[in-house]
Amino acid sequence: MAAEKSLQRVTLTSNDGTQIEVDRAVAERSILIKNLIDDLGESAVASDAIPIPNVNDAVLRKVLEWCEHHRNDPPQSADDENDNRKKTTDIDEWDQKFMQVDQEMLFEIILAANYLDIKALLDVGCKTVANMIKGKSPEEIRKTFNITNDFTPEEEEQIRRENEWAEDR
Amino acid sequence: MSSTTRRAAAGPRAAAAGVAANPGSSILQTLRATQMIDSKPVLPAEILAAILDYLPVADQMRVARVSRRMREMVYDDSRWVARLRSMGCWDEAEARRRFEEAVLRRRRAGAEGWAASAAGDGGGGGGGPGTGTGKVNNANGGPIEAPVGAGAGSEGALLFDAGLEEERRRKALQQQQQLQQQLQQQVGEMRDGFETMRLGGTAHAQPRQDPSTDPEALLQVIKNARSVRGHARQEYGKIYGALAPFYYDLVRAKSHTDPLVFKVFRDPERQAQMLANLKTFAKSDWAQGCQKREEKLDSMTGIFESAVLREFEQGYEFWDVDGRMNRYAHVLALLNGSNAAAELFIQKHPIFSDREVLANPMDCVNQALADSITLEPSRQFFEVLARKVNEQAAVIERIFPNPEQVFWAFADKVREELIMEYATPLFDETHERSIPSYLKAVSGIFEQTLQFFRTLTPPKGAKEGKEAKAQQEEKAKELALKVFEPHLDLYLQDELDEFTRQAEREVGDWEKKLSEQDASAESFYMGSFANRQADKKDFLTTFKKVVMMPVTVLPTTFALPSLPLGSPFASSKPAAAASANGSNTQQNLSQQGSRSQSPAPSLTPSAVDRSSSPLPGKAPTDELAAKAALMTSRLEGIKSLFSIEVALSLVHAAKASLGRVAVFIQLGGQAGGEAREQCAAIFIALLRILGNGHVKPGFDKAVQHLSQYNPREVSQHDQGGVAPLVTFIELVNVGDLISQMIDVFYEQQLVGPKIADRNDFLDPAGLAKKKFEQMLDESVAAGLNKGIDVLMDEVEYICATTQLPTDYNPGAATAPDAAGAAGAASSSSSSAAAAATSTSTAEKRASKTLGAVDMDIGPTRTAQRVRELVASHTSMLVGSTDKSMLDVFNGEVGLRLFAAVCKHLKRQRISTEGAVKLIADMNLYFEYVRTLKNQDLLAYFRALRELSQIYLIDPRHAKEMATIIADGDRFGGIFRAEEVYEYAERRADWYQVRRDVERAMYGLECSLM
Repeated sequence: MAAEKSLQRVTLTSNDGTQIEVDRAVAERSILIKNLIDDLGESAVASDAIPIPNVNDAVLRKVLEWCEHHRNDPPQSADDENDNRKKTTDIDEWDQKFMQVDQEMLFEIILAANYLDIKALLDVGCKTVANMIKGKSPEEIRKTFNITNDFTPEEEEQIRRENEWAEDR
Repeated sequence: MSSTTRRAAAGPRAAAAGVAANPGSSILQTLRATQMIDSKPVLPAEILAAILDYLPVADQMRVARVSRRMREMVYDDSRWVARLRSMGCWDEAEARRRFEEAVLRRRRAGAEGWAASAAGDGGGGGGGPGTGTGKVNNANGGPIEAPVGAGAGSEGALLFDAGLEEERRRKALQQQQQLQQQLQQQVGEMRDGFETMRLGGTAHAQPRQDPSTDPEALLQVIKNARSVRGHARQEYGKIYGALAPFYYDLVRAKSHTDPLVFKVFRDPERQAQMLANLKTFAKSDWAQGCQKREEKLDSMTGIFESAVLREFEQGYEFWDVDGRMNRYAHVLALLNGSNAAAELFIQKHPIFSDREVLANPMDCVNQALADSITLEPSRQFFEVLARKVNEQAAVIERIFPNPEQVFWAFADKVREELIMEYATPLFDETHERSIPSYLKAVSGIFEQTLQFFRTLTPPKGAKEGKEAKAQQEEKAKELALKVFEPHLDLYLQDELDEFTRQAEREVGDWEKKLSEQDASAESFYMGSFANRQADKKDFLTTFKKVVMMPVTVLPTTFALPSLPLGSPFASSKPAAAASANGSNTQQNLSQQGSRSQSPAPSLTPSAVDRSSSPLPGKAPTDELAAKAALMTSRLEGIKSLFSIEVALSLVHAAKASLGRVAVFIQLGGQAGGEAREQCAAIFIALLRILGNGHVKPGFDKAVQHLSQYNPREVSQHDQGGVAPLVTFIELVNVGDLISQMIDVFYEQQLVGPKIADRNDFLDPAGLAKKKFEQMLDESVAAGLNKGIDVLMDEVEYICATTQLPTDYNPGAATAPDAAGAAGAASSSSSSAAAAATSTSTAEKRASKTLGAVDMDIGPTRTAQRVRELVASHTSMLVGSTDKSMLDVFNGEVGLRLFAAVCKHLKRQRISTEGAVKLIADMNLYFEYVRTLKNQDLLAYFRALRELSQIYLIDPRHAKEMATIIADGDRFGGIFRAEEVYEYAERRADWYQVRRDVERAMYGLECSLM
């Protein structure tokens, strides 16, 4: 059964209609797909492609590339959810390289990871974004994330002073 | 999160932006704008929150300045509560309490200052909540409290809590002011969270100070953190402001001299405190690279710790208890709990090489007599050790901030290094030399060890009184268990084996001795039965007393003045007491002897015999032994069957073993359970050996004796009892005594200390006891069955040999009558030999009393003897076996007696004159049977009495006799008319009256008709 399972391949359809065939084990890095296969049964999945309507072709390929590389990682343990404040570990080298994409792509990957429920990839994405934010001024952050400033300068100054204790010295 | 929701979230904002930019644009344009912005993805809130988690605190605060939405996210209380919690300074209960108090206050305040509150709303509620409050606060910046409370009306919890807090905190104003100053120095101008403090009335502008001048508050910052809902960020801010500079500085530091911590704080106590704080603070640092930072902190702490430890060690070498040792132990405690110092202290402690403490365990063996052991040296060893350890307890208290922990660690080390070293070789050695001394050693040393740990005086900890006591008890048990764990299994096994061996040897010895004695020389001695029950009760009381006495395995109780509690079972005892008791015994014995009407010669031989009784070495040393000896002397007759002394010594051995094992039960847990099981096993072994090995063979032998008994072969019949039956009944008595003894033992030794549960029907000890009792009952029953046969044989024998033909037929003292009696005897079913004997005896007696016609109207001697015989045997059983069995026995005896009497009657020839005697005899039997209190039985004998009256009827009234014969009611249904007729045939003048009677019975009625 286990051997069969690893050989079995599934087909995914991105929102622009492209079909990508991958190993089932790779696809099942996504908890969403895993649960879907479990629920629908293997026969249904074998005959039909799985639609991934929220993710476009390029992003899906990118995500699957990551999944392929991490196919043998130990599965996420359930208690990770509870201990969400655990200490941050550094991003490994391959992931760092993998994440060297333009910001739009990075966000798409994060969103796809979120949608497909791939926790490890989501974490890597978030860490990458956090690294982007690190050391930036508020204005730079706004620019990066396309956020409108809805503060008056006084208000902004007020917040700065409130949190002066946290400033680097 | 699906894409649709994302778009829904992003869409309106984008659309709004578009509309705002071009108010007059068409829908198409709007759509295009939407499309365009949509292509640049916006991350949903939860992802942003996740990203924030990965950011260092400083960056988070910058993000807060980006937009309102971002600020809300950053300011989210739960984010900061989590950080406080990670440092262990968030108390949910405290937070809830504050919250509830605040709600209460707000309600009250709401009623009081509604108007003011409404005014406050105008400023705070309308605009962004944050700015609103900020402004209000700034406006009310002065030390006025009421407006703040009012201003909080809308934003409630936040500010109101703060105001409340102020009041609470003012109580600890001094410290707080310091802290505030400190924080102000650190952070510069205070905002938001710190503003609350300013509201508390502290001066606004503080002269800038270097943190090093007033670092005290810094040290306390974590301890002072409060748990206020809605204020977690501010609280964290205080801590972060105080510690982060040191933290990041330390992380950046190149060498251990660099860090600010060591520059600002000069004395090691503060450095340690600060390092401990930083360690805690590091737990709330979970941004990237935190592992490296923590490692760095740890290595710095390590350097610091080893330096302090070195100082401590130097102090140790000079035994500078109150100086350096105390100081650096406290420094280490501040840093991380001073384990290292305690370890060092224990490791290098001089007690472990103290010549005074180190004792030779072999003294216990060498100072004692051959093959035994004295525990005096070990007691001394423990005494010295206890004194030394208690001295150290005082020292530990002076050095360490957590003396209790250190002390127990120290005690554990003492256990391992000293006690184990002492005990193990001793046990090994004694095990090789002799098992009994090994057993004594293990149990004794255990008790001493436990006592030792109990006498320790641990330094006073946080716990008081009872709790401390309980803790010490627990510790003592734990440590004692550790000492004895390796030996326990072997010991328990050996204890059982040794007991079994000893008990079996005891029984074996006794049996050997018995076989050496000439079995034919068994003198069946019958003691006085008069006060048997009283004697037994007396004996049992003494036994109970002794059983309740604690087994003192130790020659003297540890750490107590030696009490005169010398175990009655101990082989060595005070000589004076022995002699006193001995003479006592003699007196007692002679008193008893004279009081009882036992045959005179039995006294001296028994007293002499006692000295060579199965336990020669065991002169009676106390009451119990004396009574046992007495019992033995009285039960001389059954000593060939089984011995109460053997039983007693077995019980003693069991008690000693149990006593030794029982001390381990108090350990509790698995070891205690094992010890308990072993106690039960010893009890079972006792019952097995005593029951199957000793009592049962005795009973079997007695039953055998009984079954071999033949009254015709025994020359003497004057003693008034059947010897084997008397023996047997004595045996039953002793068996019962042993059973009661076992019962008392069970109650006292097993149920008392909760080794066995009486209500647990599966309890092995209880089961064994039941089995033992059952065995005893069965033996008794079997014996009694035989006993009845024997008794009846004897009754018949007496009847046959002693009843004179003239007894019931005084007028016929002539040859024809004698011949008639002989003829009757020969015609009866008894054997020819018996008949011959009886006739010859009868003839002899008849010739003797020929001349003197006995006109006495009392019962005949035969009847009296039969009565005595039966009565003495039945009464012997009273109180020795249970009542139901006794009833059955008595019933059976009565029935058989009845049958015997009837049989006897049919062999007699009874004249009218003799009938008076017969009636007297029957009355005698009847009276006797009445004492048995058995109604059924009484009916038989009543019938017998009625029957005897038919002989009284004058021959002239033959017709009335017929009426009586035919009257079934008269005999209560016991005799039928034909039977009565048969008895009537035994009338001496039967042939004269027969015609009349028969006519009256069969013919007369017909003729009347």
